[in-house]
Amino acid sequence: MAKLLVIAEHRDGKLSEATLELCRIAKEVAPGLGLEPAAAVFAKDDALAKEVANYIPVVFSVADAAVEGYTADGYAQAVKAVVESQDVKGVLVPHTYDGVDYAAKAAMAIDAGIVSNCNKAEVEGGKLVLTRNIFNGKIQEKKSIKTDKFVVSFEKGAYDPAEAGAAGAVTAVSVSFGPIRTKVKEVIETATGGVDISQARIIVAGGRGLKDGDKFKEVVLPLAQKLGGEYGGSRPVIDSGWIEASRQIGQSGKTVTPDLYLAVGISGAVQHVAGMKGSKCIVAINKDPEAPIFNIATYGIVGDLFEVLPAFSAKL
Amino acid sequence: MKIVVCLKQVPDMESKFKIVDDKKVDESQIAFKINDFDNYAVEAALQLKEKLGGEVVIVSAGPDRAAKDIRQAFAMGADWGIHISDQAILDGDSFVVASALAKAIEGIGGVDLVMTGVQTEDLQAGVTGVMIADMLNMPHCTNVVKIDTADGKAFTLNRELEGGLNEVMELGGPAVLTVQSGINDPRYPTLPGIMKAKKKQLDVKSGADLGVNAASKTEFIKMFIPVADSMAEIIQGAPEEAAGKLVDKLKNEAKVI
Repeated sequence: MAKLLVIAEHRDGKLSEATLELCRIAKEVAPGLGLEPAAAVFAKDDALAKEVANYIPVVFSVADAAVEGYTADGYAQAVKAVVESQDVKGVLVPHTYDGVDYAAKAAMAIDAGIVSNCNKAEVEGGKLVLTRNIFNGKIQEKKSIKTDKFVVSFEKGAYDPAEAGAAGAVTAVSVSFGPIRTKVKEVIETATGGVDISQARIIVAGGRGLKDGDKFKEVVLPLAQKLGGEYGGSRPVIDSGWIEASRQIGQSGKTVTPDLYLAVGISGAVQHVAGMKGSKCIVAINKDPEAPIFNIATYGIVGDLFEVLPAFSAKL
Repeated sequence: MKIVVCLKQVPDMESKFKIVDDKKVDESQIAFKINDFDNYAVEAALQLKEKLGGEVVIVSAGPDRAAKDIRQAFAMGADWGIHISDQAILDGDSFVVASALAKAIEGIGGVDLVMTGVQTEDLQAGVTGVMIADMLNMPHCTNVVKIDTADGKAFTLNRELEGGLNEVMELGGPAVLTVQSGINDPRYPTLPGIMKAKKKQLDVKSGADLGVNAASKTEFIKMFIPVADSMAEIIQGAPEEAAGKLVDKLKNEAKVI
């Protein structure tokens, strides 16, 4: 039977959570598409392939020094080789930093259409229908793929990870790699030093809605102090240099799970939510009633944060 | 250095979005601007030009209204541009648009570096830059947060990873870089810049002019306003009143303060 193939993601010998999420998606939609769920692991040996086999029945292992570390050229070539030799129809890739780097290249290599950054996969009339966010999550769209082969990438955290089951079979696939044009020198920590906000019990986080760095400091910092908590920010706040990088919350920053997370002037982009959705109680204050942050908050106030926050602070 | 920046005009995401016939956004209430990520790419290109000399060329596929934001990049300091204005291409998917952009870049010739934003704010796909690299047979790096080059030919790049990590990598040009927000502090156009921008060369091309014969590989079905699984308890009232109720709830209901 033709395969629906998950491409595993790993770093420092550890599988990513996104890999297991893809295994769940593959097992859910493969039967309706007349496909068999499978995965491919590209690594220096087959240790991780054996681990993935606990989550999906068929695993192809490309164990080669060329894919010991991630590169777009290495991964695109490995995807092409496995797709062509193992009767693969569809490829599932995580929409993570590495996934974004190679998914479209892999699609080009196998002449497949790609729908990226999806959050839902459904089978309708034997066809795969994908749902994804557009316009910053204010709108969603449904898409399908017309080509014989297809590539789909999924937002991290859109599905729960697959549960482990009976061990599947691992098959070695050898690939003759061509040139790899990029060279990884090292992986470095960028937000070193600074305060560790990940242990704070209360966090006041500000976003673009604070307008500028001075207002951020005027409004957010005293409130965090009064509540005995820490302050942090969403990506635009760090990009604009209003506060230091060690206080960034979200996919590219810290993951936090405080008892109280006060999100002020934060719209709630998926990348931000990934870093704070585990908080016990989330309060959102935003002037836009359609801001996605209200969909995950416990309490919300729709209004001007420059009016609401001073009032809130005074009542504490 | 000859640097091409691929730029897209997108709606301001704070706009009020209304869907027409399940398939498009009502543009009458929308203000348009340069895709934020592309704005960082323009700035990064201008900084390289200032360091190493050469020119920055803007390539953009968009309707007539996009010319305003191509000229905005001219006002920042870009030298000239190509505006791909062709409804058949704009109706196509990322593969079709990437094909048109790649053909335009090929036509310019002698390009040392192609830069674009990591994704567009409207479609959030993050595939166009990587496709262009593949079509032009160039290496690429996505989510670039730092660019080092002494000669415009060999590059040391920081690629952003999860949780505050960066991968430091090397590649040789010509290459495609997709730029992440925060890499720099994009400049605002100056008045003389805006005056000069009006006279800069902007070539308008159709798909036929560029020899594009790509067809969409994906199909759009429909768009809709998402219905949330859950929704916050919205606390009503004037700021004073709402703030008071919120304090009460946090103390007595959620018990977190």
